[in-house]
Amino acid sequence: MTDTKTWARIKSPWVLHFNSGACNGCDIEIVALLTPKYDVERFGVKLEPSPRHADVLLVTGCVTQQCAERLKRIYDQMPQPKFVVAIGACACSGGVFEGNYNVLGGVDKVIPVTAYIPGCPPRPEAILDGVVKLLNALNPPKQKKSSKQVEAPKEETKTIIEEAKPIVKQ
Amino acid sequence: MSNNKIDILNVVESKLGSKVQIQPGHLSTGSIIANNGLHREVLKAMIEADEKTGIIAISGLDLGENLGVYYHFRTSNALVTIKTEVPKTNPIIQTIIDLHPGAAFHELEVTDLLGVIFEGNKPEGHFVLSEYWPQGVYPLRKDVKANEIKLSPPQETNKPAEDPRQVKIIIGPQHPALLEPEKFSVTVDGETVTKVEPRIGYVHRGIEKASESRTYLQDVYLVERICGICNSIHAAAFVEAVEKIIKVDIPPRAKYLRIVALELNRLHSHLLTLGHAGLEIGYETLFQYFWRDREPIMDLIELTSGNRVYSSLMAVGGVRRDIRAEDIPKIKSVLKTLRGQLPFYRQIYTDEPTLRLRMKDVGVLSRKDALALSVVGPVARGSGVDIDVRKDEPYEAYAEIPFKEIVYKDGDTWSRMNVRMDEVEESINIIEYVVDHLPSGPIRLNLPRSVPAGEAVNRVEAPRGELFYYVKANGTDKPDRVKVRTPTFANLPSFLKTAIGESIADVPANFVSLDPCFSCTDR
Repeated sequence: MTDTKTWARIKSPWVLHFNSGACNGCDIEIVALLTPKYDVERFGVKLEPSPRHADVLLVTGCVTQQCAERLKRIYDQMPQPKFVVAIGACACSGGVFEGNYNVLGGVDKVIPVTAYIPGCPPRPEAILDGVVKLLNALNPPKQKKSSKQVEAPKEETKTIIEEAKPIVKQ
Repeated sequence: MSNNKIDILNVVESKLGSKVQIQPGHLSTGSIIANNGLHREVLKAMIEADEKTGIIAISGLDLGENLGVYYHFRTSNALVTIKTEVPKTNPIIQTIIDLHPGAAFHELEVTDLLGVIFEGNKPEGHFVLSEYWPQGVYPLRKDVKANEIKLSPPQETNKPAEDPRQVKIIIGPQHPALLEPEKFSVTVDGETVTKVEPRIGYVHRGIEKASESRTYLQDVYLVERICGICNSIHAAAFVEAVEKIIKVDIPPRAKYLRIVALELNRLHSHLLTLGHAGLEIGYETLFQYFWRDREPIMDLIELTSGNRVYSSLMAVGGVRRDIRAEDIPKIKSVLKTLRGQLPFYRQIYTDEPTLRLRMKDVGVLSRKDALALSVVGPVARGSGVDIDVRKDEPYEAYAEIPFKEIVYKDGDTWSRMNVRMDEVEESINIIEYVVDHLPSGPIRLNLPRSVPAGEAVNRVEAPRGELFYYVKANGTDKPDRVKVRTPTFANLPSFLKTAIGESIADVPANFVSLDPCFSCTDR
């Protein structure tokens, strides 16, 4: 049963995009992913409008004070297991806007982040690579695994996930 | 440029005489110092003399003892700044929204960020700042430090009882039709929209304040990141304003290279919007087609600047990179392919019945309203108002380049999208002309990092319309004040007007025809 669940998760992750105060650079690159040149749907990735149906939350932007509360609320609405990908320098650390009066600086100040994709903005290939790495991390390792490992990929996987430990514990 | 040239400064002088102080040639056409409520008299005289008088921006400045409120106005052939000052202890000034309704949002922004109270235009709650923002703290004042602000819980307000027949539909902050977080409360009676209340500021990053603590060199990168779509234009507008303060003329080759970057920006931005409009009306194939053809333009931006999105090409005194001679055939061949696609798209926009049904006579903005609300760019040109900074006040080398100004008369969504469609072709023409006529010579001047004290205004034509910068330098390597007025901020009031009385189903198509970009709107 767990195998089937993991298989389904990897083969068709539904992603939700939330802009927490980005400049549109990363956002447009995410939209570009859906278009013919990059066509992320061939990996089964579908952009989903509702947080209640989404598996992966793609967050862009430096998290402004007004967005922080909404970001948390959207994260809470997503069903378990859920993954957060911070896209762009702003989402990773605040980027060029760090220290501004209305900016928290980084998605991990508000919600736990599973994977970070740096860049200003990251190229569509980089976003694609990050999402595929995240999906591969869900893939059960060769030895026996438990469902817990699938839900929270941590030590076993040798991907960028390993470096990107969430600051806030789930 | 308009044929009947009106000397607006003479008009003001003959009406008000010695009551105001006129400085011709300062800040573009001229500036007028009008204190003690005289700014209204000056504006009245200007509106009477020229129907195209429209507000560009209101810059609020912290001048120490006083707060400066600078009104920047455009007329058919001039850019005039009316300067007033109010004491910090009692910062009250009379509103101008009864004379010019387009100023409403500009005034609210100054109230929220600088604490100037406009009598007759009182905000309900915050305009761009968070609801947790402490009362009485105004971020653009010099004594406010970014890291010392303590947030407080929002105050409870008693909302008036609502009519049960009126249903409120909340669009945003997270909504499938919006790529960006912004909230619109649309009140509907049945299917008809009766009221639209925007809540902006979700993307407010405080860039104007941040630019005061960074050097001019760093600010080029910072203002570029106001918007990821029209980034070159922001950088160009800023460096041009700084060059005006230094009083330096950049080499001709740099001017031409800047135009290539600016027009490539316009091309990809227009293709993006034309496709996005398809998505909003449920015509996803059109979206995929446009975005397929947009990718080669992104490749050209990468070819000419080294980066796909942020070109970082602009520098004070010129540009950073030259175009290699061997790249020019590649640029031309990509543009030729795109030109070949245009008849197909134009046919879709003119003949496709679904598209016409969703766009024709939707969101009609009359010429009179367009002037009163002071809209800019394709929104104004779709309503028959011929304003284009590239023609009205040519910057860089636009005066030397032949191109047409596109104007449609109907003022509906369809006209606005067709303005963009025709501008795609004009942009292709401009780039082809520029790469054929590239002058030789240096591409950048070496200038000192400190900028002499002074102030300058600059406006350029961004893909979404007139983009305005006001830069004040104090003689150091950091600016004293940078005011940015983006075209989307100026165009937003028109949506609140045109949406009323329409079906709720037409809201997305109408909205996307303004080419909304909230990262620009909020800064």
